Amino acid sequence: MSQVPGPPFRRVLVANRGEIAVRIIRACHDLRMEAVAVYSDADIGAMHVRRADAAVRLGPAAASDSYLRIDRIIEAALASGAQAIHPGYGFLAERAAFARAIVDAGLVFVGPSPASIEAVGDKLAGRRLARDAGVPTVPGTLEPADLDRPDALAGIIAEATRIGFPLMVKASAGGGGRGMRRVERSVDLPLALTSASAEASASFGDGSVYLEREVRPARHIEVQLLGDLTGRVVAVGERDCSIQRRHQKLVEEAPAPGLDPAARSELLAMGVRIGTAAGLTNAATAEFLLARDGTWSFLEVNTRLQVEHGVTELTTGLDLVAEQFHLAAGRPLSDAVLAAAARASDPGRHSIEVRLAAEDPASDFIPNPGVVRDWVMPAGPGVRVDTGIEAGDRIPPEYDNLIAKVLVVAADRPAAIDRLRRALDETVVTGVQTTLPFHRFVARHPGFRVGDLSTDWVAEAWDGAGERAGAVPGALAALARGVRDEPAPGSASPPIVATATPASGWLAASREEAVDRWPR
Amino acid sequence: MAAVRRLRVTDRATGAVLGEVEDDGSVGAASDPTSVRSQADVTRLAPGRFEVVVDGWRFDLVVEDADRVDLRERATRTRDASGHRGPTEVRAIIPGRVASVAVAVGDVVTAGSRLLAVEAMKMENDVRSPRDGTVERVAVGPGQTVELGDVLVVIA
Repeated sequence: MSQVPGPPFRRVLVANRGEIAVRIIRACHDLRMEAVAVYSDADIGAMHVRRADAAVRLGPAAASDSYLRIDRIIEAALASGAQAIHPGYGFLAERAAFARAIVDAGLVFVGPSPASIEAVGDKLAGRRLARDAGVPTVPGTLEPADLDRPDALAGIIAEATRIGFPLMVKASAGGGGRGMRRVERSVDLPLALTSASAEASASFGDGSVYLEREVRPARHIEVQLLGDLTGRVVAVGERDCSIQRRHQKLVEEAPAPGLDPAARSELLAMGVRIGTAAGLTNAATAEFLLARDGTWSFLEVNTRLQVEHGVTELTTGLDLVAEQFHLAAGRPLSDAVLAAAARASDPGRHSIEVRLAAEDPASDFIPNPGVVRDWVMPAGPGVRVDTGIEAGDRIPPEYDNLIAKVLVVAADRPAAIDRLRRALDETVVTGVQTTLPFHRFVARHPGFRVGDLSTDWVAEAWDGAGERAGAVPGALAALARGVRDEPAPGSASPPIVATATPASGWLAASREEAVDRWPR
Repeated sequence: MAAVRRLRVTDRATGAVLGEVEDDGSVGAASDPTSVRSQADVTRLAPGRFEVVVDGWRFDLVVEDADRVDLRERATRTRDASGHRGPTEVRAIIPGRVASVAVAVGDVVTAGSRLLAVEAMKMENDVRSPRDGTVERVAVGPGQTVELGDVLVVIA
């Protein structure tokens, strides 16, 4: 043991909400630092506010009036005496302007330097940087599409034809699947460009979009990088995040199954090369696609903590948020980080995370906000749950629908899958539909067990409506037991059905009927 | 001895009739879960309305006396036979903000045509036509906030 460093800061402001804010506050407290939370009117009394040592209101529920207000967040930090700001993920985490404003206010931004965020945070800039560093990229454009001039459209379509359909329209400032569109025919390109640009503009304040070939089938594998102020960048491991829907990850694991040590070393080295070329400091992730023929294509760098950082923590034993704080305070890469980097190609443990989201996996994972009633999360050996939700909490429709991450770790992948299955069987959520049935399906799926992963996995393996239909007999049997408490007919008013799905005209007809039959 | 009551169970999410259960007036038959996974949670949300969660699936179920439903359906069939068919209201199934509207009054649409997009949780969700018809009314405009169940478009 070399030295026991003191707390890197005295007080830290956490510029985020939900599970990641709680996660960061926990790291603060582990390091004997005080944590200041911020919140919008939708998050009054939320778990991240209650866990913090102090809390500052930012504004109304809309993110643009609260969690995206750089001025208010810096004011809150200065007023509360915080020395550093941790952005979490999402919101302002990858905005160079935010990092720069923090530095200009005399505070410390817990993340890469504004210059390196600019160097790679913008996906287009990242693509150019990778090309210059000799790392293969996905074929596509390297400059933003010019959407302001109608006469430029012909040029964009010509370029798209050269790249080949289907292709992806991607927001340069995008992330989490937002500002991204899949285009199959050139006739659909103009609408995809404008809608992706509008979504990116609303979500990130930057409507730049570019074109990229769709690599399919592919696995999505990413490298966790850490860097210090001396310019040293190391990779502490990789994660396989192939199981996605709408380009948002659902299941992540570390290490990536089925990679031989040579392929893993090649991948980690490419990540370090990009990180070094970008002058990355603190924590960042380089994302790659692995095609069936074994070729790697660099996708983008995320200059922030990833949602799925926990699987790397469970395989390496590191606390990545704590390491971020040490690095932000100017300390060199810790001995623990260097040791993890040294064994990154053979970590000797396996970890899997599933993202519980308030979504209906029977209806194309449509968002499903609401109020959680029962909330039982798993526990026991090798299980970790990161959440910002408790029983009775409302899931606000204004923000991301991730409500909990369930993580497991075991000696190897088969044992981790068994443990995941057990953990998910312990999990109970009522009041809102969650992705839990999907995750239970994954944990029992033979293709998942043998590591046959691709970004098409959900589309190919998952029949949500069918799975839900399979649960109907059990639901009716349970209802038959529960219904005996129901008052006799006549004492209750007839039901008026109040929701509809666009897929069926049943609702409107039945409402009409109900109103016709049961005048009030 | 209480008479057996037949109860018709409808899934509020899909509108589908899932089946019937019998209420014989007995109290609290013992549950028989085969595993921790298949244990069900049953909650009475309102008169005639139950939430059942089984294997992670949440069912919002409407329970009605089956004899009464039969009566109503016979009446409806009679009306359909006489050629009366009302317009279809397309309603918001999630609260959010209208991102864009793709149709105008008078447009001819087919089942599956994109009508508009509702943005919720930062995702745009397409709302599609449930059937063929003509747009009779567009009840919302871009930027407007909609609540669950609000009428968006009426197809005649």
